[in-house]
Amino acid sequence: MKSPSFLASINPSTQPDTLDSVERAQIDASTRLPVLLFFGSAIFWLLVGSLLGLISAWKMTHPGLLDGASWLTFGRLRPAHLNTVIYGWASAAGIGVGIWLMARLCRVALMHTKLLVTAAIFWNLGVLVGTLGIIAGDSRSIEWLEFPGYSTPILFVAYAFIGVWTIIMFRYRRPGHVYVSQWYLLAAFLWFPWLYATANILLIWQPIQGSAQAAVNWWYAHNVLGLWFTPIGLASAYYMIPKVIGRPIHSYYLSILGFWSLALFYSWNGMHHLIGGPFPAWMVSASVVASIMMFIPVITVAINHHMTMRGHFGALKWSPTLRFTVFGAMTYTLVSLQGSMMAIPSWNTLVHFTDHTPGHAHLGLYGFFTMILFGAMYYIIPRLVGWEWPSATMIRWHFWLAAIGIGMMVVSLTIGGILQGLAFYDPAVSFRSSLDYATPFRIVRGISGFLLLGAHLVFAVLFIQMVLKLGAPKEGPALFAKPESKEAVAV
Amino acid sequence: MTAGVILLVGGLVFLSGSALAAFYWSVKTGQLNNLAEGAKSIFDEDEPVGVSTDKFPSKTRS
Repeated sequence: MKSPSFLASINPSTQPDTLDSVERAQIDASTRLPVLLFFGSAIFWLLVGSLLGLISAWKMTHPGLLDGASWLTFGRLRPAHLNTVIYGWASAAGIGVGIWLMARLCRVALMHTKLLVTAAIFWNLGVLVGTLGIIAGDSRSIEWLEFPGYSTPILFVAYAFIGVWTIIMFRYRRPGHVYVSQWYLLAAFLWFPWLYATANILLIWQPIQGSAQAAVNWWYAHNVLGLWFTPIGLASAYYMIPKVIGRPIHSYYLSILGFWSLALFYSWNGMHHLIGGPFPAWMVSASVVASIMMFIPVITVAINHHMTMRGHFGALKWSPTLRFTVFGAMTYTLVSLQGSMMAIPSWNTLVHFTDHTPGHAHLGLYGFFTMILFGAMYYIIPRLVGWEWPSATMIRWHFWLAAIGIGMMVVSLTIGGILQGLAFYDPAVSFRSSLDYATPFRIVRGISGFLLLGAHLVFAVLFIQMVLKLGAPKEGPALFAKPESKEAVAV
Repeated sequence: MTAGVILLVGGLVFLSGSALAAFYWSVKTGQLNNLAEGAKSIFDEDEPVGVSTDKFPSKTRS
């Protein structure tokens, strides 16, 4: 039986139970083209974004750096960095991981490859037009939504295609249990197009007036983390950790509780960015309460991942996927508890407007989400191209450069931010001299940028080697279970 | 402004409504009945519980 046409698959009267049952390897192979397209372009944008971030970081301590041309100024490079890493890298790589996981968890071969390929093309076009727009000076000056109005509809088309595809895949899935990762993916792929459209309509196409703009802005920006990146990251962790160590998650009950409490509390969190702002007190208070309630989903995930790993921590030595994924999962606990703490007003007044905030943002987007994406990509790519990663040494370099780089960045910005905040409190210290407290830490952050860029270059080389199948073939693909070992265990 | 309010409120209803509907569906179709089995749904005869599926490429070839 063939995969139905697009029109048939969105027609409610079609009988969905028509797809053949296929082997896991066939499902993996069917996702090859769209997933590699999303991964490849994501890695390209990661390199662009890292470079933009690196230059922006050094401009903080050396304002004269590259100040000759308007398009190289901090006000353009910094939003270009933010938008290329969140839309170009993190979102696209997350979509790639999500597509592969959806196909595996639905247990059917990928349907409507063309729809996804079109989405990937639109996606990259949107990011390209948006980034050039920012560089050209058309930035919207709305954090996380700096892409100019003429590029966001292109991105929305891509989001919408992927949302429709998700529904079709879910509809045609093989009967059976809906695994917790799939819940997370459905939430991410169905909620995000709507979040994105609402924020764009209310802020760019038909801007609402006054301080309500800030409320919509932070409601959106926080939901990008909570209802888009976090669910994809957790979906991957909930799949990769059990699969790699060969052990079901410790408590499935906790994982379900974690999912539903995240769905319930997260969308309330955004207003904690506006503590002290011109808003009704109840709005901010409700958000602070919801931020503290986030302890529930975060601790359920932390307990679950830790208890699943218990007794298997040795596996971190031999599995690249697990090493990156567990690093990300542990950071998730850390960054979430830090975030809840930053929502407490007394702490917030100290660290708000300091370097502490970008430290927190990088811990979340890099330490948690990006590391989980790397882990998932180490697992997925060999199964798509039928080729083994060429060098364990390069994977180790990638891991340690990334881990040390992000560690340096977060620790320096966190400490520097607190010192800066204390200087803000002190009426005897002028604003200008308060910056001096942050400068040494900003230099450390600038150095960490080189480590991260190095990590990404190593990974890009590995990826190109994989896609082009460079180098001698490995003896016995280490990543695919060998037939004889499978039989030995199945007895 | 009015359009904005309609969008926001409509969106809130849609978001929470879709979550509630999904939760109702999951209870009704027995998704939450046998959680121990659910956790094992990602394993099968091909890749059973107890088999690890990832490792560093071997260092014999460099």
